[in-house]
Amino acid sequence: MNASPYFRKLVEWVPVAVFAGMFIFLGIEAPNLFTPFTIDLMLKQAVPTVVVSLGLAVVIMTGGDDVVSGGIDLSIPAAAIIAAAIIADQVTNHGTLLPIALVFALLAAIMVGVLNAFLVVVIRMTPLLATLATSVAVVGITKVITQSKRINVTDPFIVFLRDGTVIGLSAGVVAAGLLTLIYWFLMHRTRWGMQAQATGGGREAAEVSGISTKAYQTISFFLAACTGFLASMFVLARGSGSSPGTEDNLLLEMVLATFLGAAFSPRRKVTIWGAALGAVLVTMLSVGFKSIGVNVFWTGCIKGSLILIVVASAAATARGRY
Amino acid sequence: MAGITVVFPGVKALDLAALTVRPGEVHGLVGENGAGKSTMIKVLAGVYAPDEGTVSLDGERQVTLLPNAIHAAGVRFIHQELHLVPHFTVAESVFMGQEISGRFGLDTNTMNERSEVFLRETLNAHISPRTLIRDLGTAERKLVQITRALIDGQAKLVVFDEPTAPLAIGEVDRLFAAIEGLKANGIAMIYVSHYLGEITHICDRVTVLRNGKTVKVFDEVSDQITDKIISAMVGREITELFPEKEKASNKKLFEVIELSGRGFSQVNFEVAAGEVLGIAGLVGSGREQLIDTIYGLLPKSSGAMILKEEAYNPTRPSKAVKAGVALVPRDRRNDGLVLDQPVVDNINLASLDEVSVALMEKRAVSKERAEVMVKQLDLRPRNVMTIPRLLSGGNQQKVVLGRWLAKGGDLFILDEPTVGVDVGAKVEIYNLIRELARGGSAVIVSSGDPLELLGLSDRIMVLRRGYLAASSDVKDLNVDSLVGLTTGGNEGLLE
Repeated sequence: MNASPYFRKLVEWVPVAVFAGMFIFLGIEAPNLFTPFTIDLMLKQAVPTVVVSLGLAVVIMTGGDDVVSGGIDLSIPAAAIIAAAIIADQVTNHGTLLPIALVFALLAAIMVGVLNAFLVVVIRMTPLLATLATSVAVVGITKVITQSKRINVTDPFIVFLRDGTVIGLSAGVVAAGLLTLIYWFLMHRTRWGMQAQATGGGREAAEVSGISTKAYQTISFFLAACTGFLASMFVLARGSGSSPGTEDNLLLEMVLATFLGAAFSPRRKVTIWGAALGAVLVTMLSVGFKSIGVNVFWTGCIKGSLILIVVASAAATARGRY
Repeated sequence: MAGITVVFPGVKALDLAALTVRPGEVHGLVGENGAGKSTMIKVLAGVYAPDEGTVSLDGERQVTLLPNAIHAAGVRFIHQELHLVPHFTVAESVFMGQEISGRFGLDTNTMNERSEVFLRETLNAHISPRTLIRDLGTAERKLVQITRALIDGQAKLVVFDEPTAPLAIGEVDRLFAAIEGLKANGIAMIYVSHYLGEITHICDRVTVLRNGKTVKVFDEVSDQITDKIISAMVGREITELFPEKEKASNKKLFEVIELSGRGFSQVNFEVAAGEVLGIAGLVGSGREQLIDTIYGLLPKSSGAMILKEEAYNPTRPSKAVKAGVALVPRDRRNDGLVLDQPVVDNINLASLDEVSVALMEKRAVSKERAEVMVKQLDLRPRNVMTIPRLLSGGNQQKVVLGRWLAKGGDLFILDEPTVGVDVGAKVEIYNLIRELARGGSAVIVSSGDPLELLGLSDRIMVLRRGYLAASSDVKDLNVDSLVGLTTGGNEGLLE
């Protein structure tokens, strides 16, 4: 199909327009949604999604943004919830000290990353399938650990992440902001980040420039899994413990947020700040729909449709370019 | 490079070949396909180790011919492919893999500044370092690629491999301006190209390779020596590879009027029933795209086509097939064959309607048809259940041809019909092609081999950079003039 540049430009802006429309709608239907208090509440809600989206952004930037053949990691939420389950189980059920529980959780998350990297880089499986399979397996193991039951966590550090404040802002929000800054610096302001982006932007071009693309892709999965581990603490803080079924919503919001972020970036590419912004917007939308009484199942349906719009727009504009 | 010999199993790719390049000169390296140009360049790049011979840079013999050592010695390669990341800026692309870091991460300002200065002062190009690659034209992208290779300031010898292949006519001048800039900086260049017009325009000296040997070095280059270069390149006669040609009828079967599409513009031609029309053209001439457009694989942008006195406007290949057009594609393994389905299925693929009742295939009829075809094609082995993946290139091509012979058709398009086929099988394929014409079909053969086109066609049209450069009866052409027309070497001679 030979789409004209104007048509492509129009398609590029569809996701942004759809989101803007939804926010205008919410602004009219629920005027209280955009008060400083609710915004702070929504930011706190957004923290786990922001963190996992950072991980996905790293993988996509390094593997390429083709949804099928490029880089994607659907197992980050699974890595987050298995790490959360391990921390909750160790601290609450076995009385393990939090730092030691964190080490166990980190090891588990790293294993997820190593498995993904092995499947994608060594076995050469499609990232979409490989990480989907890993995700399903990891969620299964998590259910074995928690017996599919909720485990409360009252550790002071986790409570601080939930309720604490730093210079007048929620501790979790500050932590997520700092993480975004660190990831942004790593991916956009260092040689490592530029070379990782070159790997994602054109594998052959990167190799010709002497960049070891396999190493970058391996490290991206490793980093994504570590991000999953970091997200686990915020998952525990938001839910005051580990709850079964958290991963589904997190996965949906992560994919939506990361690709939506690309629609906002000037180059129409997945970026770190775009993913973080996308995560905040997606959470605001969820909270907004809840506040005006939209059925939770309908919210899921809307989010699924939004993913379709965002990804289809990205695919349509990428085609025919360059 | 002196006395370079490279032997591959069963073939001597280079036979005591030599090449000398002086500082600040543009040295043309020319030869036909298979003459050894690529092998020569790959020896220099450290990809192939020569069996004999030496490579010296600045009078110093290079003992270790490995890519890293070659790079360190100041040799840079500008490949045909651009190898750029579309969403990177110019500066990010230039410094890809060699980024500059400051105290606070990437030093974007320095990278921008250095890219801009190099592009402006060395390559005579004014391109903003903040522009995204995807917003640049092909020529500008080429300049970015060159900048990336040379930005470290260590380059002494730059090898350009078909640098203008992706460029449009107007864009070539920008590249030449850049090359002049490099020359002024004392950098030596090797310029590999099929376009002899460019060679005589930009090069100071020219080395001609033929059959792996250096056959001639021209120390003075001007438009007047084009014919001498062509003779040195070709140096052979048409052998008796080709079948007899019958006179074509005067019945116009297929006509193309002012057709434009991706990669070609305003092309006009016609083919009569029983005629074989050859299409000649280099990589980037628009030859492939023209064929894909006729077959409905690419959309046309304007113009018209008439098949058997009726408007023909294929929007997809199935419409072309229905109208009686058949294509033998250039990439037979990927586009021509279902490699793991037996020969019988491949032969009947386009004519399943004829071997089926309702939705059921009549297997016995299919096999019978395939067996007749296998016999006619002299396919080896003569077993319709053979898997094409296991066949030789020549036999694979016969299966594709067999499919269309079985189906029948009015217009046959053959794209590079004998690539990767040995001489024996070539002769058989040439006979099959002439047989198609004898049966009253119109045949279009697109090929990069001038000898093949001359031997097989009744008429040849030449495409150059997307435009019809010439169209001539084959009797008025020889290898020299055809090569001249495709390369633009004898521009003006026949027009």
